[in-house]
Amino acid sequence: MSNEPAYTRRRSDESTASAGTPPDDRLLTVSDLTTVFHTEEGIVNAVDGVDFHLDRGEILGLVGESGAGKSATARSVLRLIDDPGEIVGGRVDFEGTDVRSLSDEGLREFRASNTGMVFQDPTTTLNPTMTVGRQVAEAVQTARGLSRSAAKREAVDLLDRVGIPDAAARANDYPHEFSGGQKQRVIVAIAIASEPDLLVADEPTTALDVTIQAQILELLDDLREDLGMSILFITHDLGVVREICDRVAVMYAGSVVESGPAESLFSDPRHPYTKGLLASINSVDDGTGPADRDRLNVIEGQMPDLTGTTDACKYADRCPGATEECREAHPDLEPVPTDPGRSVACYRHEHVGEMAYEYDHESRSLSWQTDRADGRGDAGDEPVVETEGLVKHFDTSGPIERFLGDPEPVRAVDGIDIEIDAGSTVGLVGESGCGKSTAARALLRLIEPTDGSVTYRETDVTAAGSDELRSLRRDLQIVFQDPQSSLNPRRTVRQIVRRPMDLHGIGSQGDRADRVAELIDAVGLDTSHLERYPHELSGGQQQRVGIARALAVNPEVIVLDEPVSGLDVSVQAQILNLLADLQEELDLVYLLISHDLSVVEHVCDRVAVMYLGQIVEHGPTEAVFDPPYHPYTESLLSAIPGLEQNEERIVLEGNVPDPSNVPSGCRFHPRCPRKIGEVCEREDPTDHAVDGETIGCHLMREEYADEVDWGSVD
Amino acid sequence: MRSAIDAQFARYAARRVGLLVVSLLGVSVVTFGIVNVLPGDVALLILGNRASPERLEALRQSLGLNRPIWIRYLDWLGGVLTGDMGESLRFGDPVARLIVQRLPASAFLAGAAVVIAVTVAIPLGVVAGQARNTWKDFTTSVVAFTGISLPDFFWGLVLILVFAEFFSVLPPSGYVNPAVDPIGGLRHVALPALSLGFALMAHLTRMTRSSLIEELRAGYVRLARSKGVSERDIVYRHALRNAFLPVLTVIGLQIGFLFSGIVIIEQVFAYPGLGRLAFQALLNRDTTLIQGSVLTIATVFMLSNLIVDLLYAVLDPRVQTGGGA
Repeated sequence: MSNEPAYTRRRSDESTASAGTPPDDRLLTVSDLTTVFHTEEGIVNAVDGVDFHLDRGEILGLVGESGAGKSATARSVLRLIDDPGEIVGGRVDFEGTDVRSLSDEGLREFRASNTGMVFQDPTTTLNPTMTVGRQVAEAVQTARGLSRSAAKREAVDLLDRVGIPDAAARANDYPHEFSGGQKQRVIVAIAIASEPDLLVADEPTTALDVTIQAQILELLDDLREDLGMSILFITHDLGVVREICDRVAVMYAGSVVESGPAESLFSDPRHPYTKGLLASINSVDDGTGPADRDRLNVIEGQMPDLTGTTDACKYADRCPGATEECREAHPDLEPVPTDPGRSVACYRHEHVGEMAYEYDHESRSLSWQTDRADGRGDAGDEPVVETEGLVKHFDTSGPIERFLGDPEPVRAVDGIDIEIDAGSTVGLVGESGCGKSTAARALLRLIEPTDGSVTYRETDVTAAGSDELRSLRRDLQIVFQDPQSSLNPRRTVRQIVRRPMDLHGIGSQGDRADRVAELIDAVGLDTSHLERYPHELSGGQQQRVGIARALAVNPEVIVLDEPVSGLDVSVQAQILNLLADLQEELDLVYLLISHDLSVVEHVCDRVAVMYLGQIVEHGPTEAVFDPPYHPYTESLLSAIPGLEQNEERIVLEGNVPDPSNVPSGCRFHPRCPRKIGEVCEREDPTDHAVDGETIGCHLMREEYADEVDWGSVD
Repeated sequence: MRSAIDAQFARYAARRVGLLVVSLLGVSVVTFGIVNVLPGDVALLILGNRASPERLEALRQSLGLNRPIWIRYLDWLGGVLTGDMGESLRFGDPVARLIVQRLPASAFLAGAAVVIAVTVAIPLGVVAGQARNTWKDFTTSVVAFTGISLPDFFWGLVLILVFAEFFSVLPPSGYVNPAVDPIGGLRHVALPALSLGFALMAHLTRMTRSSLIEELRAGYVRLARSKGVSERDIVYRHALRNAFLPVLTVIGLQIGFLFSGIVIIEQVFAYPGLGRLAFQALLNRDTTLIQGSVLTIATVFMLSNLIVDLLYAVLDPRVQTGGGA
């Protein structure tokens, strides 16, 4: 095993790295940390000479896209790297102790008493066959050597402290009896059991809803203050970073490319990559409504493969300002001369201001599609797709339960009306479990609706027989959230894109071959991808294949079920641009299912906000979001991290209730921050037309209108 | 909370028992049906080829063979439910009594085989899983693979050769009731149980190994490491219980194969169990005895799977709330 870094780099000056803060405040200093993974394709340089430091009581955000090496860096700090990974170089200095030189027992004690870690996926992080109380108690025992009963009492206190209601009783429950957000709270309780100096949080909110994310962020921030601990916060979400972090280190392809105080780094990025990331997010956030809905600024291309050695700046291939100099060696992370608190790894950081990310939309020819696309634009005033009272209930009971009595069904979708006009995009938003994906599937009759009707251009979709439904499938297509599981792993890209045409008997053999080539070009891939299998493609490329497949039968309506939520920020922007281009060219109609309000705000003409199977507010995007009238919409918007600084946040308590046992009256009333009183528990609110949109809330009734503090809504 | 879980468990258990009853009815239909549509006239079998047609007809009449098959089935089922499985055509004794005489010996043999297999396999699997890709792991894998590849009667012959013929330490055949003479009982069951359990042991070792390796990669193991739990506790307190769940399922299913193994092993060791009885019944075309033994074996198999399912629910708290089917 070679301890040499994989590329030529100059050693950075040790003294300058610690400039700025007095050394006694320093908790953790990581220098030249190098971790590799031994794989069949060769050695992957996941962490490639990383430097950063963390002061007491500070939150450092380690940000970057997937594959940037953030998690590997965080785990390396605690030496939690599993086979086939190996830490091969560098130093992790924790209050003068070199973590890398600790013995096995020393390392165990270090983890037990000095550090805690929170992981990304709370569902797989707790032991399913052990009560949560015991799992927390175990952490207390390893940290402080308490007796079993004392540890158990302490565990209940900890659970209470992280906000588990009725902690003493819930301690005896198993993880599967908790919701995702509560599980993450339990994991936080375990992590802080030793009152650690350092908490490593690895994407702690990525798997959670935006409202739950806000709760967890608030909890972490409170605990940091109470316990005076430092947090190494790993995330891909720049909004979260802006919200919670004091300082930020941006990672790209295994290296830190820029670090500094959060505020100045966001307002004045010094590395072109940081600038590009910020640009692609800001442009999503800025645009509202179709008028200023331009294409997003995107960083083209994708992160380089981390196997083997590099002899250029790793970002050079995607950088708008790269020169000859950048192709010689990867630059070191060095302090910015004019701003010693910040560091950047870029030869041309003084010219970052001049570098611009632009998106050139080149029209790609899908000539054969236009014959069907003609006339799509004008459907008169009639909506192209319309659902009326769409209902989908799931009966989860077995024969014995049914015999014992009529159980409540799961009311996944409980009577929704959606209209989508020609060439437009409607967004369906809400927390997970609100029924939005089920609604989309029922709309396409991928699952049979329980009640209600769906009409597509005067054809009753719900009443269509199997032949008619087959031909309707040509017009109504879907792109799924997880491209990896929705593409057949044993077929090549060519076969995947071609298959819908084979099934529907479209064109001759030769036509189909030509069209596959056109489609693959239209979604921004090239013919070299045609013979590959899905696992050989990146997530963004897989999603492009999913879009090409949906387009293959030349549909008019495409349901987009969370099409970008599994993708990195820069790739997200690429896919959103692609979808916008295709819509413009082919007059497509989109139904966009998303939990990401900023994406919805950018892309959609109209929005419907869904809660517990019902639509609580719908209307044109600007009208719904600006200002939000319904308290649920308001809470959702408010929970988005990092959008506006210093704004009073509404943190919704609890989770979406069980859809088999819906609350009486207004379904939102148990969580509503603006609940008026008994009327909300008693009466189902009727729809009210306000400012061109429709709102289902008692606050909109005249006699209660005074209750609304419109000033706070602004 | 506790009582809610217990109620849930009771519901789950009730559902499984209901399923068992329905399945057993199915088995009885199939057993009865197959045995009775098989070619071969029972009356002819009893009276021999030279019997006169009148005598054959008279016997059929008295055995009720002329009645429709479903009436005969209900008749038989009614008998079974009251503990009367008819009389053995060959031995003339009640089938139920023959089975009750032989069942304990077989149960003792199968139980011993399972105990040997599990007590050896779990520790071996844990050692191999922990020491992945070392000589320990490699040796275990080779032994396990050999165990699975060779049939159990072969191990029977090898064991007889080594322990009975060469060293003369254990009896090569026969059965002693362990309730009467525990030492003698164990000595007699040792060799057949070892040969019967060897394949199961090999199978369970491999299962435990791969299952443990998988669990050691799980998120909760990483969490346990991050909170400073020792590697020993990680394996024994966290991973093993989860790793044991799939092993348990395999044990339940393998008990079925164990019974087909018993038929042969009891022949090899001249062991007077149910397997030998069923084998003889098959050779003699003793239809009532075949029906009785097959139904008994199926019942034992289903009961052991029921126990495994219930045990699974105890070990894995997620099972009961699974709801649905």
